[in-house]
Amino acid sequence: MKEIDARGLACPLPVLQTKVALQEESYKTLKVIIDNAASQQNVQRFLESRGFQTALEHVGSDYAVIGSCDSMTLEQSRPVPKPFSDARKIMVMCATDRIGFGDDVLGIKLMVNFLRTLKEMGDELWRLVFVNNGVKLTTDGSEVLEDLKVYESEGLKILVCGTCLDHFNILEKKQVGETTNMLDIVTAMQLADKVINI
Amino acid sequence: MDDPYWFGQIAAANALSDIYAMGGTPKTALNLVAFPARTMDMSILRQIIQGGIDKLRDAGVVLIGGHSIEDKEIKYGLSVTGFIHPERVLAKNSLRPGDRLVLTKPLGTGIVNTAIKAAMVSEQLSEKVTLLMATLNREAARIMADFNISACTDVTGFGLLGHLAEMISGSDCSARIVSGNVPVIPEAEEFAAMGLIPAGAYKNREFREHMITFAETVPRTIQDLLFDPQTSGGLLISVSNVHCADLVSALKAGGIADAAQIGDIIDSREERIRIV
Repeated sequence: MKEIDARGLACPLPVLQTKVALQEESYKTLKVIIDNAASQQNVQRFLESRGFQTALEHVGSDYAVIGSCDSMTLEQSRPVPKPFSDARKIMVMCATDRIGFGDDVLGIKLMVNFLRTLKEMGDELWRLVFVNNGVKLTTDGSEVLEDLKVYESEGLKILVCGTCLDHFNILEKKQVGETTNMLDIVTAMQLADKVINI
Repeated sequence: MDDPYWFGQIAAANALSDIYAMGGTPKTALNLVAFPARTMDMSILRQIIQGGIDKLRDAGVVLIGGHSIEDKEIKYGLSVTGFIHPERVLAKNSLRPGDRLVLTKPLGTGIVNTAIKAAMVSEQLSEKVTLLMATLNREAARIMADFNISACTDVTGFGLLGHLAEMISGSDCSARIVSGNVPVIPEAEEFAAMGLIPAGAYKNREFREHMITFAETVPRTIQDLLFDPQTSGGLLISVSNVHCADLVSALKAGGIADAAQIGDIIDSREERIRIV
Protein backbone atom coordinates (compact mmCIF):
# COMPACT_ATOMS: atom_id res chain seq x y z
CA MET A 1 0.00 0.00 0.00
CA LYS A 2 1.25 3.45 -0.95
CA GLU A 3 1.43 5.85 1.97
CA ILE A 4 1.38 9.64 1.59
CA ASP A 5 2.12 11.91 4.51
CA ALA A 6 0.36 15.20 3.77
CA ARG A 7 0.48 16.57 7.29
CA GLY A 8 1.29 20.24 7.54
CA LEU A 9 -0.16 20.90 4.09
CA ALA A 10 -3.22 23.02 3.35
CA CYS A 11 -5.79 22.62 0.55
CA PRO A 12 -5.31 21.84 -2.29
CA LEU A 13 -1.83 20.34 -1.71
CA PRO A 14 -2.94 17.02 -0.12
CA VAL A 15 -5.25 16.41 -3.11
CA LEU A 16 -2.41 17.30 -5.48
CA GLN A 17 0.02 14.90 -3.80
CA THR A 18 -2.55 12.14 -4.05
CA LYS A 19 -3.16 12.97 -7.69
CA VAL A 20 0.57 12.96 -8.49
CA ALA A 21 1.01 9.60 -6.74
CA LEU A 22 -1.78 8.09 -8.85
CA GLN A 23 -0.25 9.49 -12.02
CA GLU A 24 3.09 7.87 -11.19
CA GLU A 25 1.58 4.49 -10.61
CA SER A 26 -1.96 3.15 -10.58
CA TYR A 27 -1.98 2.06 -6.96
CA LYS A 28 -4.86 -0.19 -5.93
CA THR A 29 -4.73 0.89 -2.30
CA LEU A 30 -3.28 3.95 -0.73
CA LYS A 31 -3.26 5.71 2.59
CA VAL A 32 -3.12 9.49 2.94
CA ILE A 33 -2.32 11.00 6.34
CA ILE A 34 -3.72 14.48 6.89
CA ASP A 35 -3.92 16.84 9.85
CA ASN A 36 -6.96 18.97 9.00
CA ALA A 37 -10.62 18.14 8.43
CA ALA A 38 -11.06 20.13 5.21
CA SER A 39 -8.19 18.33 3.44
CA GLN A 40 -9.43 15.02 4.77
CA GLN A 41 -12.84 15.54 3.13
CA ASN A 42 -11.23 16.82 -0.05
CA VAL A 43 -8.89 13.82 -0.39
CA GLN A 44 -11.78 11.46 0.27
CA ARG A 45 -13.78 13.11 -2.48
CA PHE A 46 -10.89 13.12 -4.88
CA LEU A 47 -10.35 9.38 -4.40
CA GLU A 48 -14.06 8.69 -4.77
CA SER A 49 -14.15 10.71 -8.00
CA ARG A 50 -11.37 8.39 -9.25
CA GLY A 51 -13.38 5.26 -8.46
CA PHE A 52 -11.90 4.41 -5.06
CA GLN A 53 -13.80 3.24 -2.04
CA THR A 54 -12.61 5.15 1.00
CA ALA A 55 -12.44 4.60 4.72
CA LEU A 56 -11.37 6.97 7.46
CA GLU A 57 -9.19 6.27 10.49
CA HIS A 58 -8.27 8.62 13.30
CA VAL A 59 -4.63 8.50 14.36
CA GLY A 60 -4.29 10.75 17.38
CA SER A 61 -5.34 14.18 16.13
CA ASP A 62 -4.57 13.21 12.52
CA TYR A 63 -6.71 11.49 9.91
CA ALA A 64 -5.81 8.59 7.67
CA VAL A 65 -7.86 8.25 4.49
CA ILE A 66 -7.58 4.77 3.05
CA GLY A 67 -8.60 4.30 -0.57
CA SER A 68 -8.96 1.01 -2.34
CA CYS A 69 -10.19 -0.02 -5.74
CA ASP A 70 -10.12 -2.99 -8.05
CA SER A 71 -9.75 -2.45 -11.78
CA MET A 72 -13.42 -3.30 -12.34
CA THR A 73 -14.75 -0.43 -10.27
CA LEU A 74 -12.10 1.88 -11.68
CA GLU A 75 -13.37 1.37 -15.22
CA GLN A 76 -16.98 1.75 -14.22
CA SER A 77 -16.73 4.86 -12.13
CA ARG A 78 -14.19 7.06 -13.89
CA PRO A 79 -16.70 9.85 -14.56
CA VAL A 80 -18.01 11.89 -11.66
CA PRO A 81 -20.75 9.82 -10.02
CA LYS A 82 -24.26 10.98 -10.73
CA PRO A 83 -25.94 12.61 -7.75
CA PHE A 84 -29.30 11.10 -8.63
CA SER A 85 -30.31 7.51 -9.11
CA ASP A 86 -31.38 6.40 -12.56
CA ALA A 87 -35.01 5.86 -11.54
CA ARG A 88 -37.35 8.36 -13.16
CA LYS A 89 -39.14 10.80 -10.88
CA ILE A 90 -42.88 10.93 -11.36
CA MET A 91 -44.96 13.61 -9.74
CA VAL A 92 -48.73 13.13 -9.46
CA MET A 93 -50.82 16.22 -8.80
CA CYS A 94 -54.45 15.84 -7.72
CA ALA A 95 -56.48 19.03 -8.04
CA THR A 96 -59.75 17.28 -7.24
CA ASP A 97 -61.15 14.59 -4.96
CA ARG A 98 -62.91 12.79 -7.81
CA ILE A 99 -61.96 11.67 -11.30
CA GLY A 100 -63.79 13.09 -14.28
CA PHE A 101 -67.27 14.57 -14.70
CA GLY A 102 -70.66 12.89 -14.90
CA ASP A 103 -71.48 10.79 -11.92
CA ASP A 104 -69.90 12.00 -8.67
CA VAL A 105 -70.37 8.70 -6.84
CA LEU A 106 -68.44 6.99 -9.62
CA GLY A 107 -65.87 9.81 -9.71
CA ILE A 108 -65.09 9.46 -6.00
CA LYS A 109 -64.85 5.69 -6.29
CA LEU A 110 -62.44 6.03 -9.22
CA MET A 111 -60.22 8.42 -7.27
CA VAL A 112 -59.98 6.00 -4.33
CA ASN A 113 -59.12 3.24 -6.74
CA PHE A 114 -56.58 5.44 -8.54
CA LEU A 115 -54.73 6.41 -5.37
CA ARG A 116 -54.60 2.79 -4.19
CA THR A 117 -53.29 1.58 -7.55
CA LEU A 118 -50.59 4.27 -7.74
CA LYS A 119 -48.28 2.04 -5.72
CA GLU A 120 -47.78 -0.01 -8.90
CA MET A 121 -45.50 2.79 -10.09
CA GLY A 122 -43.03 1.53 -7.49
CA ASP A 123 -39.94 3.63 -6.79
CA GLU A 124 -40.67 5.98 -9.65
CA LEU A 125 -43.55 7.54 -7.73
CA TRP A 126 -41.66 10.52 -6.27
CA ARG A 127 -44.14 13.19 -5.17
CA LEU A 128 -47.89 13.18 -4.58
CA VAL A 129 -49.33 16.68 -4.47
CA PHE A 130 -52.83 17.73 -3.43
CA VAL A 131 -54.30 21.10 -4.37
CA ASN A 132 -57.76 22.69 -4.49
CA ASN A 133 -60.50 20.13 -3.67
CA GLY A 134 -57.83 17.40 -3.68
CA VAL A 135 -56.59 18.48 -0.23
CA LYS A 136 -59.78 17.01 1.28
CA LEU A 137 -58.36 13.55 0.58
CA THR A 138 -55.70 14.16 3.26
CA THR A 139 -58.11 15.09 6.07
CA ASP A 140 -60.15 13.26 8.70
CA GLY A 141 -62.82 11.07 7.12
CA SER A 142 -61.02 10.58 3.81
CA GLU A 143 -61.48 7.07 2.49
CA VAL A 144 -57.83 6.89 1.36
CA LEU A 145 -56.28 8.40 4.51
CA GLU A 146 -54.81 5.09 5.66
CA ASP A 147 -53.46 4.33 2.17
CA LEU A 148 -51.76 7.72 2.03
CA LYS A 149 -50.25 7.17 5.49
CA VAL A 150 -48.79 3.89 4.27
CA TYR A 151 -47.28 5.65 1.22
CA GLU A 152 -45.78 8.28 3.48
CA SER A 153 -44.34 5.72 5.88
CA GLU A 154 -42.72 4.03 2.90
CA GLY A 155 -40.91 7.27 2.06
CA LEU A 156 -43.15 8.92 -0.54
CA LYS A 157 -43.27 12.67 -0.07
CA ILE A 158 -46.86 13.94 0.02
CA LEU A 159 -47.33 17.69 -0.38
CA VAL A 160 -50.58 19.40 0.59
CA CYS A 161 -51.36 22.96 -0.51
CA GLY A 162 -51.57 25.24 2.55
CA THR A 163 -53.54 27.98 0.77
CA CYS A 164 -56.18 25.38 -0.19
CA LEU A 165 -56.46 23.92 3.33
CA ASP A 166 -56.82 27.45 4.64
CA HIS A 167 -59.45 28.31 2.04
CA PHE A 168 -61.63 25.36 3.06
CA ASN A 169 -60.84 26.09 6.71
CA ILE A 170 -59.50 22.54 7.28
CA LEU A 171 -55.85 23.29 8.18
CA GLU A 172 -56.20 21.39 11.48
CA LYS A 173 -57.97 18.45 9.91
CA LYS A 174 -55.08 17.42 7.66
CA GLN A 175 -53.78 14.02 8.79
CA VAL A 176 -51.09 13.19 6.27
CA GLY A 177 -48.42 14.94 4.17
CA GLU A 178 -46.44 18.14 4.45
CA THR A 179 -48.20 21.49 4.16
CA THR A 180 -46.65 23.19 1.17
CA ASN A 181 -46.79 26.26 -1.03
CA MET A 182 -46.66 27.14 -4.70
CA LEU A 183 -42.86 27.56 -4.80
CA ASP A 184 -42.35 24.00 -3.56
CA ILE A 185 -44.89 22.70 -6.06
CA VAL A 186 -43.30 24.58 -8.96
CA THR A 187 -39.84 23.39 -7.89
CA ALA A 188 -41.06 19.80 -7.70
CA MET A 189 -42.49 20.14 -11.23
CA GLN A 190 -39.15 21.42 -12.43
CA LEU A 191 -37.23 18.54 -10.86
CA ALA A 192 -39.66 15.80 -11.90
CA ASP A 193 -39.17 13.79 -15.06
CA LYS A 194 -42.90 13.45 -15.53
CA VAL A 195 -45.88 15.29 -14.05
CA ILE A 196 -49.31 13.68 -14.09
CA ASN A 197 -52.31 15.92 -13.46
CA ILE A 198 -55.60 14.54 -12.20
CA MET B 1 -4.13 35.34 -8.12
CA ASP B 2 -0.57 35.55 -9.42
CA ASP B 3 -0.79 38.68 -11.57
CA PRO B 4 -0.13 41.71 -9.35
CA TYR B 5 -2.03 44.16 -11.56
CA TRP B 6 -5.21 42.05 -11.51
CA PHE B 7 -4.73 41.34 -7.82
CA GLY B 8 -4.92 45.12 -7.28
CA GLN B 9 -8.04 45.47 -9.43
CA ILE B 10 -9.86 42.65 -7.65
CA ALA B 11 -8.93 43.96 -4.19
CA ALA B 12 -10.34 47.37 -5.11
CA ALA B 13 -13.56 45.90 -6.61
CA ASN B 14 -13.99 43.87 -3.42
CA ALA B 15 -13.46 46.92 -1.18
CA LEU B 16 -15.94 49.07 -3.13
CA SER B 17 -18.61 46.39 -3.03
CA ASP B 18 -19.84 47.14 0.51
CA ILE B 19 -20.79 50.68 -0.45
CA TYR B 20 -22.70 49.48 -3.52
CA ALA B 21 -24.53 46.87 -1.43
CA MET B 22 -25.76 49.63 0.88
CA GLY B 23 -27.10 51.59 -2.09
CA GLY B 24 -24.39 54.26 -1.77
CA THR B 25 -21.91 55.96 -4.10
CA PRO B 26 -18.22 55.51 -3.22
CA LYS B 27 -16.21 58.74 -3.34
CA THR B 28 -12.79 58.39 -1.72
CA ALA B 29 -10.40 55.58 -0.84
CA LEU B 30 -7.27 54.99 1.24
CA ASN B 31 -4.75 52.29 0.36
CA LEU B 32 -3.73 49.80 3.06
CA VAL B 33 -0.57 47.95 2.07
CA ALA B 34 1.71 45.36 3.63
CA PHE B 35 4.73 44.42 1.51
CA PRO B 36 8.08 42.60 2.01
CA ALA B 37 10.02 45.56 0.59
CA ARG B 38 13.42 44.12 1.48
CA THR B 39 13.00 40.80 -0.27
CA MET B 40 10.57 41.46 -3.11
CA ASP B 41 10.85 43.54 -6.25
CA MET B 42 9.15 46.92 -5.70
CA SER B 43 7.74 46.85 -9.23
CA ILE B 44 5.28 44.21 -8.00
CA LEU B 45 3.92 46.66 -5.46
CA ARG B 46 3.68 49.35 -8.13
CA GLN B 47 1.61 47.03 -10.34
CA ILE B 48 -0.74 46.15 -7.47
CA ILE B 49 -1.31 49.82 -6.65
CA GLN B 50 -1.79 50.61 -10.36
CA GLY B 51 -4.49 47.90 -10.58
CA GLY B 52 -6.23 49.43 -7.57
CA ILE B 53 -6.02 52.95 -8.98
CA ASP B 54 -7.40 51.90 -12.36
CA LYS B 55 -10.36 50.17 -10.72
CA LEU B 56 -11.01 53.22 -8.53
CA ARG B 57 -10.94 55.41 -11.63
CA ASP B 58 -13.55 53.12 -13.26
CA ALA B 59 -15.71 53.65 -10.20
CA GLY B 60 -15.18 57.43 -10.15
CA VAL B 61 -13.41 57.22 -6.79
CA VAL B 62 -10.44 59.37 -5.73
CA LEU B 63 -7.45 57.83 -3.96
CA ILE B 64 -6.58 60.32 -1.24
CA GLY B 65 -3.72 58.57 0.54
CA GLY B 66 -2.94 55.45 2.46
CA HIS B 67 -0.67 53.57 4.80
CA SER B 68 1.98 50.97 4.17
CA ILE B 69 4.00 48.66 6.40
CA GLU B 70 6.79 46.14 5.96
CA ASP B 71 5.50 42.58 6.35
CA LYS B 72 6.45 39.05 5.30
CA GLU B 73 3.32 38.53 3.22
CA ILE B 74 1.70 40.82 0.63
CA LYS B 75 -1.57 42.33 1.76
CA TYR B 76 -3.56 44.96 -0.09
CA GLY B 77 -6.95 46.42 0.73
CA LEU B 78 -8.69 49.74 0.74
CA SER B 79 -10.77 51.75 3.14
CA VAL B 80 -13.58 53.30 1.11
CA THR B 81 -15.93 56.16 1.98
CA GLY B 82 -19.14 56.85 0.12
CA PHE B 83 -22.26 58.98 0.23
CA ILE B 84 -25.88 58.00 0.62
CA HIS B 85 -29.11 59.72 1.64
CA PRO B 86 -29.78 58.62 5.24
CA GLU B 87 -33.32 57.54 4.36
CA ARG B 88 -32.10 55.37 1.50
CA VAL B 89 -29.54 53.27 3.35
CA LEU B 90 -30.12 49.60 2.53
CA ALA B 91 -29.56 47.34 5.53
CA LYS B 92 -28.78 43.64 5.36
CA ASN B 93 -31.61 42.36 7.50
CA SER B 94 -34.57 44.67 6.75
CA LEU B 95 -36.13 41.80 4.81
CA ARG B 96 -39.81 41.71 3.88
CA PRO B 97 -41.76 38.42 3.81
CA GLY B 98 -42.86 37.60 0.25
CA ASP B 99 -39.78 39.24 -1.30
CA ARG B 100 -37.72 37.39 -3.88
CA LEU B 101 -33.96 36.94 -3.74
CA VAL B 102 -31.80 37.88 -6.71
CA LEU B 103 -28.08 37.11 -7.12
CA THR B 104 -25.99 39.04 -9.65
CA LYS B 105 -22.78 36.97 -10.08
CA PRO B 106 -22.26 33.21 -10.39
CA LEU B 107 -20.75 31.28 -7.45
CA GLY B 108 -17.56 29.26 -7.51
CA THR B 109 -14.61 31.69 -7.45
CA GLY B 110 -13.19 30.11 -4.27
CA ILE B 111 -13.26 26.62 -5.75
CA VAL B 112 -11.80 27.77 -9.08
CA ASN B 113 -9.01 29.64 -7.24
CA THR B 114 -8.21 26.43 -5.34
CA ALA B 115 -8.09 24.58 -8.65
CA ILE B 116 -5.80 27.32 -10.02
CA LYS B 117 -3.41 26.63 -7.11
CA ALA B 118 -3.55 22.98 -8.15
CA ALA B 119 -2.68 24.00 -11.73
CA MET B 120 -5.83 22.35 -13.08
CA VAL B 121 -7.50 25.36 -14.67
CA SER B 122 -7.29 26.35 -18.34
CA GLU B 123 -6.01 29.81 -19.14
CA GLN B 124 -9.38 30.64 -20.63
CA LEU B 125 -11.29 29.83 -17.44
CA SER B 126 -8.69 31.58 -15.32
CA GLU B 127 -9.17 34.77 -17.37
CA LYS B 128 -12.94 34.49 -17.21
CA VAL B 129 -12.90 34.18 -13.43
CA THR B 130 -10.38 37.02 -13.04
CA LEU B 131 -12.66 39.33 -15.01
CA LEU B 132 -15.65 38.19 -12.99
CA MET B 133 -13.91 39.04 -9.71
CA ALA B 134 -12.66 42.38 -11.04
CA THR B 135 -16.16 43.40 -12.18
CA LEU B 136 -17.59 46.17 -10.02
CA ASN B 137 -21.03 45.80 -8.47
CA ARG B 138 -21.67 49.39 -9.49
CA GLU B 139 -23.91 48.67 -12.46
CA ALA B 140 -25.99 46.14 -10.50
CA ALA B 141 -26.39 48.68 -7.68
CA ARG B 142 -27.36 51.46 -10.09
CA ILE B 143 -30.03 49.27 -11.70
CA MET B 144 -31.51 48.00 -8.43
CA ALA B 145 -32.00 51.58 -7.20
CA ASP B 146 -35.01 51.88 -9.54
CA PHE B 147 -36.81 48.96 -7.90
CA ASN B 148 -38.53 48.26 -4.62
CA ILE B 149 -35.66 46.72 -2.65
CA SER B 150 -35.96 45.86 1.06
CA ALA B 151 -32.42 44.65 1.79
CA CYS B 152 -29.12 43.90 0.10
CA THR B 153 -25.68 42.51 0.88
CA ASP B 154 -22.60 41.52 -1.11
CA VAL B 155 -21.48 37.90 -1.23
CA THR B 156 -17.86 37.47 -0.14
CA GLY B 157 -15.94 35.21 2.25
CA PHE B 158 -18.86 33.57 4.07
CA GLY B 159 -20.31 32.24 0.83
CA LEU B 160 -23.89 32.72 -0.39
CA LEU B 161 -25.45 30.87 2.55
CA GLY B 162 -23.25 32.59 5.15
CA HIS B 163 -24.26 36.02 3.91
CA LEU B 164 -27.91 34.99 3.55
CA ALA B 165 -27.75 33.72 7.15
CA GLU B 166 -26.52 37.19 8.20
CA MET B 167 -29.50 38.72 6.39
CA ILE B 168 -32.12 36.61 8.14
CA SER B 169 -30.47 36.80 11.58
CA GLY B 170 -32.25 39.51 13.49
CA SER B 171 -35.12 39.62 11.00
CA ASP B 172 -38.47 37.86 11.50
CA CYS B 173 -37.94 35.94 8.30
CA SER B 174 -36.68 32.69 6.87
CA ALA B 175 -35.42 32.09 3.36
CA ARG B 176 -35.78 29.44 0.69
CA ILE B 177 -33.31 28.85 -2.10
CA VAL B 178 -34.06 26.94 -5.29
CA SER B 179 -30.60 25.48 -5.87
CA GLY B 180 -31.26 24.76 -9.55
CA ASN B 181 -31.71 28.49 -10.19
CA VAL B 182 -28.50 29.65 -8.49
CA PRO B 183 -25.96 30.81 -11.10
CA VAL B 184 -22.65 28.93 -10.80
CA ILE B 185 -19.40 28.73 -12.77
CA PRO B 186 -20.04 25.35 -14.49
CA GLU B 187 -16.44 24.10 -14.15
CA ALA B 188 -16.51 24.75 -10.39
CA GLU B 189 -18.93 21.87 -9.96
CA GLU B 190 -16.42 19.46 -11.52
CA PHE B 191 -13.60 20.78 -9.34
CA ALA B 192 -15.77 20.39 -6.24
CA ALA B 193 -16.42 16.74 -7.12
CA MET B 194 -12.64 16.26 -7.24
CA GLY B 195 -12.14 17.69 -3.75
CA LEU B 196 -10.65 21.03 -4.84
CA ILE B 197 -12.60 22.90 -2.20
CA PRO B 198 -11.07 25.66 -0.06
CA ALA B 199 -10.96 25.05 3.69
CA GLY B 200 -13.09 28.18 4.11
CA ALA B 201 -16.05 26.43 2.48
CA TYR B 202 -15.98 23.74 5.17
CA LYS B 203 -15.71 26.38 7.89
CA ASN B 204 -18.63 28.32 6.42
CA ARG B 205 -20.73 25.15 6.44
CA GLU B 206 -19.79 24.21 9.98
CA PHE B 207 -20.60 27.70 11.27
CA ARG B 208 -24.10 27.95 9.72
CA GLU B 209 -25.16 24.30 9.43
CA HIS B 210 -27.64 24.57 12.32
CA MET B 211 -29.72 27.13 10.39
CA ILE B 212 -29.80 25.28 7.10
CA THR B 213 -31.68 22.29 5.70
CA PHE B 214 -31.06 20.76 2.30
CA ALA B 215 -33.65 18.73 0.39
CA GLU B 216 -32.24 15.29 -0.39
CA THR B 217 -32.26 16.14 -4.10
CA VAL B 218 -29.58 18.87 -3.75
CA PRO B 219 -26.25 17.38 -4.93
CA ARG B 220 -23.29 17.65 -2.59
CA THR B 221 -21.28 19.65 -5.14
CA ILE B 222 -24.01 22.30 -5.31
CA GLN B 223 -24.06 22.47 -1.51
CA ASP B 224 -20.31 23.14 -1.62
CA LEU B 225 -20.82 25.95 -4.12
CA LEU B 226 -23.44 27.53 -1.87
CA PHE B 227 -20.84 27.66 0.95
CA ASP B 228 -17.89 28.54 -1.29
CA PRO B 229 -16.11 31.71 -0.10
CA GLN B 230 -16.32 34.31 -2.86
CA THR B 231 -13.83 36.99 -3.76
CA SER B 232 -15.65 40.11 -4.90
CA GLY B 233 -18.90 38.19 -5.37
CA GLY B 234 -22.21 39.60 -6.57
CA LEU B 235 -25.02 41.42 -4.80
CA LEU B 236 -27.72 39.42 -3.02
CA ILE B 237 -30.85 41.52 -3.35
CA SER B 238 -34.23 41.15 -1.65
CA VAL B 239 -36.79 42.65 -4.03
CA SER B 240 -40.57 42.85 -3.90
CA ASN B 241 -42.36 39.95 -5.55
CA VAL B 242 -43.99 42.15 -8.20
CA HIS B 243 -40.71 43.82 -9.21
CA CYS B 244 -38.56 40.71 -9.31
CA ALA B 245 -38.97 39.71 -12.96
CA ASP B 246 -38.44 43.31 -14.11
CA LEU B 247 -35.31 43.66 -11.97
CA VAL B 248 -33.81 40.48 -13.41
CA SER B 249 -34.60 41.61 -16.99
CA ALA B 250 -33.13 45.06 -16.32
CA LEU B 251 -29.95 43.52 -14.87
CA LYS B 252 -29.56 41.23 -17.86
CA ALA B 253 -30.18 44.14 -20.26
CA GLY B 254 -27.51 46.07 -18.34
CA GLY B 255 -24.90 43.40 -19.10
CA ILE B 256 -25.23 41.43 -15.88
CA ALA B 257 -25.88 38.22 -17.74
CA ASP B 258 -25.79 35.84 -14.79
CA ALA B 259 -28.39 37.66 -12.67
CA ALA B 260 -31.12 35.27 -11.54
CA GLN B 261 -33.96 34.87 -9.09
CA ILE B 262 -32.74 32.25 -6.64
CA GLY B 263 -35.37 32.04 -3.91
CA ASP B 264 -37.69 33.93 -1.62
CA ILE B 265 -38.25 35.27 1.87
CA ILE B 266 -40.97 33.86 4.09
CA ASP B 267 -42.60 35.04 7.27
CA SER B 268 -41.13 32.80 9.97
CA ARG B 269 -39.32 33.64 13.16
CA GLU B 270 -37.31 30.45 13.01
CA GLU B 271 -34.55 32.21 11.04
CA ARG B 272 -33.83 29.21 8.91
CA ILE B 273 -32.74 28.60 5.33
CA ARG B 274 -34.20 25.76 3.32
CA ILE B 275 -32.62 24.70 0.05
CA VAL B 276 -34.62 22.70 -2.47
